[in-house]
Amino acid sequence: MIGRVTQQTIQRSTLANVQMNLAAAAALQNQMSSGTKISKPSDDPSGTSDLLRLQADQRAATQYQRNANDGTAWLSTIDSTLSSSVSTLQRARDLAVQSGNTASMSPTGREALATEIDSLKAQLMSLANTKLLGRNVFAGTSNAATAITVTPGTPASAGPPATPATPATYAANDVPGATVQRRVSADTTVRVDASASAVFGTDTGGVVDPANPSAFALLDKMAAEIRSGTSATGDLTAIDARLSTISAQQSAIGAQQNQITNAQTVLGSKQVALSAQVSSVQDVDLAEMILKIQQQSVTYQGALAAAGKSLQPSLMDYLK
Amino acid sequence: MSTFSGISTALSSLMAQRQALEVAGQNIANANTVGYTRQRADITSIAGMSTPSMYSSVPSSGNGATVTGISRLGDPFLDARLRTATGSAAQLGVQAASYANLESSVGEPSTTGLSSQLSTMWSAWSDLANNPDSAATRAVVLQDSQAVVDRLKTLYTSASTEWSQSRSDLASMVSDVNTTASSVADLNSKILSITNAGGSANELMDQRDQLVTQLSSLTGATARVRDNGTVDVLVGGNALVDGARANAIAVTGAATFTNATTSAPPANSVQVVWASNPAVQVPLSGGKVAGTLAVLAPPDASGTGGMLTEAAASYNAVATALATTVNALHATGQDQNGNPAGDFFAVDATQPAALGLSVAITDTTKIAAATTTGGIVDGSLADKISQLSSTSGSPDSAWSAFVVKLGVDSKSATARSTVAEAARSTAEGLQMAQTSVSTDEEATNMLTYQRAYEGSARVLTAIDQMLDTLINRTGVVGL
Repeated sequence: MIGRVTQQTIQRSTLANVQMNLAAAAALQNQMSSGTKISKPSDDPSGTSDLLRLQADQRAATQYQRNANDGTAWLSTIDSTLSSSVSTLQRARDLAVQSGNTASMSPTGREALATEIDSLKAQLMSLANTKLLGRNVFAGTSNAATAITVTPGTPASAGPPATPATPATYAANDVPGATVQRRVSADTTVRVDASASAVFGTDTGGVVDPANPSAFALLDKMAAEIRSGTSATGDLTAIDARLSTISAQQSAIGAQQNQITNAQTVLGSKQVALSAQVSSVQDVDLAEMILKIQQQSVTYQGALAAAGKSLQPSLMDYLK
Repeated sequence: MSTFSGISTALSSLMAQRQALEVAGQNIANANTVGYTRQRADITSIAGMSTPSMYSSVPSSGNGATVTGISRLGDPFLDARLRTATGSAAQLGVQAASYANLESSVGEPSTTGLSSQLSTMWSAWSDLANNPDSAATRAVVLQDSQAVVDRLKTLYTSASTEWSQSRSDLASMVSDVNTTASSVADLNSKILSITNAGGSANELMDQRDQLVTQLSSLTGATARVRDNGTVDVLVGGNALVDGARANAIAVTGAATFTNATTSAPPANSVQVVWASNPAVQVPLSGGKVAGTLAVLAPPDASGTGGMLTEAAASYNAVATALATTVNALHATGQDQNGNPAGDFFAVDATQPAALGLSVAITDTTKIAAATTTGGIVDGSLADKISQLSSTSGSPDSAWSAFVVKLGVDSKSATARSTVAEAARSTAEGLQMAQTSVSTDEEATNMLTYQRAYEGSARVLTAIDQMLDTLINRTGVVGL
């Protein structure tokens, strides 16, 4: 149909065009000023779906970074504590070797050796009870006040009935089987603690197992032997066994530290990748947007100019 | 032929041209009147008399011109097209606007939306897994969970408010329909009496047609023009206006959002019925009323019910998923005092899940971060809870699915509305092209009528001079 054209239809269509151009300009201005292509789900439903997932992934990655940083603090604390423990026990081993010459030593000399071993034990005890932010790093998931609970020994009693002296026992408070884990990805957790029972040994059932005493019971035994004038060289095997256990734990901690460091590196690059993806889904291309706005502005001005020109003349201007 | 017949011929032209000029004047006067349809004086020539007699062989000219009527240059087909397009554009427009409202209340995607609040809550659980002995971390878990609960309440309430708003809009639309329909009926009877009296009711018809288009916009009504110039307005084939009688319609059915979401069918749907026979629904085919009814529709099993009730159902699903998944894990753990833990979230069964959801725990030590086999400061249960977001059936996935579906629906509603609006605009343009006044055209017509009037006057002068010659100059040859 060939439309009849009247002043009203011209005015209508001009107004409609001006409004359409203004609306398009407003939409572009909105994108430009907000900097985002998706301000509501209907702007790009599939983009919204991606965006929700990517943003959740971003927040999860940030949380995993926090977890990993927290885990690093645990692992480095444990690592340095284990190093100190090794040197402490190393010194105790040296003293045990020295005690081989007990025959030539004065009681004062022996007492000096025994006292040093006692102080080494105290030092080892304080290492075992190392805390990080109020948590015993060797107590695992237990909330006990210390990682090691000491039960004092009893001296021999003459009786009746006569009882022999019992040595002090040292029980580790970690919960068997429960470990402290830090989540570094959706499907990976890394263990960040070492249990006192594995590192220092534990005297279960309130008795010292002569074949496998705790490090503290071992040091007690050495001090007692030296005081009584016998050599502590017989304990060297037990000390060496303990030292190798701690070294093994230390290398396990090192491996876990590596795992966390790797996870941190992966998380770092994942965060960068996620940011890039989020940006590509939601951010406007500034150059393109400026160009579009410029173009839109020209169109709008054109529509306005056309409105100004087309509505002016009428036959009345020419009829006299 | 009479000697003087030419005078009456000229006179008839003078009268006809003057009348036609008045019609052009009326057109120009209404050049900008909304709904005005241009008119044209129908000038017809008057045939000459023929005398039925044997020797009447003198051919006679006609007897001038007369205005037989003033016609309205509307086109019923264009009017019908505009009404159909208006009905569907109004219906889709209402739906698109409601979707836009819903989208803005949902507030996604943003850093403050529910998805972000859920992530924050899961992060708080993860922090709790790192520091199960920290009272501060425990308090953060409670607060972040409370924020999610509050957000779900707000979302549900805003859907409910929008529903109530639409429901009262519907009531005012229906009363608008009734008023407009009785106005059309009144105009019909006035038009009938004027045309019966031989008058021109064109201006009243313009008013009436505008009202009929309003009815189309409200109800998708169509019009049927009767032979006597009145129109019947039909909604889905049933008469809303039948000549001079209007049939009122009324709203029944669900009055509150609770009715719409929880009542058993058919009490959960809002219906528009005939006021005289409330058992029969008005078969609406378009218009704002139909659009609003679609917005107010109850939810259905396939998720294709009304957008607001479906949104509420989705909020409930998110709330239920949150309570179920978190509680299922939480109840297996032990709290900070080593006691078996209870539920973390409580759901009030007497309310919709989104409104009835609350954090059951107020004492931070009652939060279970530890499994019963781990120690008191074990965080493995909190870690498991923090990972719930990525499991199937998680509140996050339910929420994301809802947001994406809303986006798709809203986008398609907007697109359909845009297309329908373009069709309506085209139909209106075509109608306007037919009915609107062109001042240039009217100026030309005025010129034509003016010249014709001048010519007729000249004819009168010429006849006058001829008669003058005949009467006063006859027989004065040579004087």
